[in-house]
Amino acid sequence: MPADPNMKILVVDDMSTMRRIVKNIMKQLGFANVEEAENGQDALTKLRAESFGFVISDWNMPVMTGIELLRAIRADDSLKAIPVLMVTAEAQKENLIEAIQAGVSNYIVKPFTAEVLQEKMNKIFK
Amino acid sequence: MLNGNVKLYDELGELARYLESAMRKMAEVGAPMVADSAQLPQATAHLLDLNKMTEEGTLEVMRLTEIIQDNHARAAKELANVVSTLEAVDCRTLAAHLGKTAQELAQDDKHLMDIMTALSFQDLVAQRVKKLVTIVEDVQCKLVELVVVFGLKQEGTGPETQGKASEMLRQLEASKSTAIKQDLADELLSEFGFK
Repeated sequence: MPADPNMKILVVDDMSTMRRIVKNIMKQLGFANVEEAENGQDALTKLRAESFGFVISDWNMPVMTGIELLRAIRADDSLKAIPVLMVTAEAQKENLIEAIQAGVSNYIVKPFTAEVLQEKMNKIFK
Repeated sequence: MLNGNVKLYDELGELARYLESAMRKMAEVGAPMVADSAQLPQATAHLLDLNKMTEEGTLEVMRLTEIIQDNHARAAKELANVVSTLEAVDCRTLAAHLGKTAQELAQDDKHLMDIMTALSFQDLVAQRVKKLVTIVEDVQCKLVELVVVFGLKQEGTGPETQGKASEMLRQLEASKSTAIKQDLADELLSEFGFK
């Protein structure tokens, strides 16, 4: 099913510059309903309070990491169906395997381009 | 038995000389080591400043890029309206020209998005700097342990007077407090006859 341009997207990253970059790309791709969270814990609180259709998360974050967030999402019956895309500088094979085992929907290694983000989104929402 | 004792005394003497030499060398390097470890927190602060500076620069480029993107979006909308109007009144050549301009604008939008994504370098730099800071802090802890274990003391007038590292650090510190702003530079230039 193609991505709904009105769906609410949550961008999770401790760096404000990265959140802004992802938000900007999403806007250019036609997704204007984007919210931000600074870490996994912040994201989890927002996910439980509102309805989101997609999560784009960093890995390395204080308080709660991206992989911990992913596991928490997959362990929560009301959230587990949300697609989660990880965008991270963690480019080790072990990281990718860990994310796959935790139920990641797709994985992007930083630095990345808008085309890669679009391609991954198309794969998730095909 | 006597030969055995002599050999043992020789070995002990050798060991004592080695220990004395090692202690002397440790004392020699001790003072600079104390000084270096005292400089590390300052060096760490400068590394973190680097993160702040790249973040500020990146946010400013982002702000300007977003302004251009918004202007482009408005211009593209206006162009589309004009093209529709021209086509309605059968001005196809002019409409085609404007259509081409709209395509060029769209191509520029792609470049603007590439500028935005290229700015992700700042995140990678910040992550590496944070790791370097952790390493430096770890080294500092180990140096402090050495200083405590060997009872080393700092000699001389202080860390700021020794070595290349101290000089670099002094320059970095100075750049924070003594760097002049453009208006002051202009004032000085005018005093020297620059108009």
